[in-house]
Amino acid sequence: MKDESILNVSGLKVRFRNREKRGFLTGAAEKWKVVLDDISFSVNEGETLGIVGETGSGKSTLARTLVGIYRPVSGEVILNGKRIDYGKKVDLVYLRNNIGIVFQDPIGSLNPRLTVREIVREGIPFNRKISRKEQDNSISEITDLVGLSSSKLDEFPETISGGEKQRVSLARALVNRKKILLLDEPTSSLDVSIQAQILNLLRKLREELSVNYIFITHDFNVIKYMCDRIAVLYYGQFLEVSSVQDLYENPFHPYSAELMNANLTLETSNKFESQYEIGEPSREGCIYVNSCPKRFSKCSLPPPSIPLGNRVVKCWLYSSDDAKN
Amino acid sequence: MVNYPKLMVSEKGLNNSLLSVNGLSVDFETIYRKIEVLKEVSLTIVKGEVVAVVGESGSGKSTLAQAIVGVLDSPPAFITRGEIHFNGERIFPKDGKVVDYRGKGINMVFQEPLASLNPVYTARKQLEESAEIAGIPSKNKVRERVIKSTLSELMIRDVERVMNSYPHQLSGGMRQRVAIAMAIIQRPKLVILDEPTTGLDLIVQRKVMSLLLNLRKDNDSSFLLITHDLAVAANTADRIYVMYAGRIAESGPKRDVIRDPMHPYTQMLKNSIPTGYSDSGPLNVTEGSPPDMAHLPSGCPFNPRCPRAFDKCREKVPPLIDVGDGRKVECWLYER
Repeated sequence: MKDESILNVSGLKVRFRNREKRGFLTGAAEKWKVVLDDISFSVNEGETLGIVGETGSGKSTLARTLVGIYRPVSGEVILNGKRIDYGKKVDLVYLRNNIGIVFQDPIGSLNPRLTVREIVREGIPFNRKISRKEQDNSISEITDLVGLSSSKLDEFPETISGGEKQRVSLARALVNRKKILLLDEPTSSLDVSIQAQILNLLRKLREELSVNYIFITHDFNVIKYMCDRIAVLYYGQFLEVSSVQDLYENPFHPYSAELMNANLTLETSNKFESQYEIGEPSREGCIYVNSCPKRFSKCSLPPPSIPLGNRVVKCWLYSSDDAKN
Repeated sequence: MVNYPKLMVSEKGLNNSLLSVNGLSVDFETIYRKIEVLKEVSLTIVKGEVVAVVGESGSGKSTLAQAIVGVLDSPPAFITRGEIHFNGERIFPKDGKVVDYRGKGINMVFQEPLASLNPVYTARKQLEESAEIAGIPSKNKVRERVIKSTLSELMIRDVERVMNSYPHQLSGGMRQRVAIAMAIIQRPKLVILDEPTTGLDLIVQRKVMSLLLNLRKDNDSSFLLITHDLAVAANTADRIYVMYAGRIAESGPKRDVIRDPMHPYTQMLKNSIPTGYSDSGPLNVTEGSPPDMAHLPSGCPFNPRCPRAFDKCREKVPPLIDVGDGRKVECWLYER
């Protein structure tokens, strides 16, 4: 483990109770559904980590686990050298004070009964004794920084625009300075020109407040623009973790390659040649085996995470003992 | 996809045009005031062409689609001016005889498949209904065969399971494919797609779009694609219309509009899409948001956000200026 890493997650596993009805004659369904399995990564000082994945891959679950909304069944979360025990309230408070979160849906995450000022005030922890005046000062400081005009402070969320709502969410997350800010699809519900404004703002905040982002999105152009390292999530497993540039220029895992191929930019044109179908994840062996065009006999066993230089790939293709047929 | 230069030339004569919308204006009437959400919008689609309408939320692109299909909610929306011609017939304003084009000529796929599919009927039932309208006979399982072949055209492998499922049992991509199957089973001449892939994953999005574009090759259908994503338009369309505040800001062949956007708004849209790595500079956009349609600024609606605005822009609304090569721009910068 490097000294400079702020957040270190290893072997994180989260499961949900399976709500599917049990069959009448077929017997009991599986009791647990594993949503995140063997998730390991670290966030270093001054580095932005991007997490990409499709719907249902567990991106949001990971974000929610990291702020303590869900409790992992196994695995370790080490924040600033302190091991987080999810059973202890003190540790959860420590987690919340150091990791902020901005949700995708700006409407759903803002209380419609509160004014913008009160919403931002929610971000100031109760356990810290701060006078009302100091609170107001830090509120106006942060709202200034995120580019909200002071006239908006006394308005209700329904009267401000989508971009402004996302700015309010940012202000609420950062009013109490955080080491790490989790951005769960912060721009995907915004128009492109507003998205660009928010991206510019996020970069400015990163420099001024020296906050580290974990950026969760399905938009590759945004990841490329914002992040230094990228983790590809597929049904609860990190298939590839590498630097952004490496992944763009040479994706190792077949799934990352497929994702890169599906990415649309203005330069690509008519990039819609039909590729192979992405099927359901496999329950046995490699999770991607059902869809993988490069599968071979060994893929019926679960692959280990193979470190290759500064990237980690979960694929038998890159295992060193060349048992490949 | 292949570009059709021949068709582009014939566009001037409008002889080959499948759909032409001329000076269409739509008002929303509320108790307090009238809001003009579409202003003198003109649009042409040639047979076999894919046309994309790009715009941000509130630019009136969905209203345009609804007006063409004839499903505007009125009240509050009323078409106040303009004509719509489809396949050589005037479909708006209707003169006496009712032209029945829906289902046979123009079909629409909506953004949210959960909202456009009926939750209490299986996919089979809804597809059958659509086939019945198209006049496909139910005798000798003809209808069933047509439905199955349409679904397999859309790369659905387990056709039987999908047909017997209710919408909530299907994944997002599957649902959208069922909605598309309902639209194309009638072999319409024009398919209007209102944000067909928004909310779908990247890989599913590419799948759905590639299937649609294949259909165009096979059936010689035309498509009107409504999207907020310039990248999607760049990868699918032959021609692009850019809308802002209920007006067509710029129109032209895709290649030219994407490579060399003329209207400052199109330039901003292009600059908004990040391209570089994390060490690249900030994105070149101005602050501000799309205008409130009820309180438009005087002059060009884009002038408060426009980096190149000058006095004239604040006073008068620019006309649609034909700059040649099939391109039109609504901007004073190109006045001659």
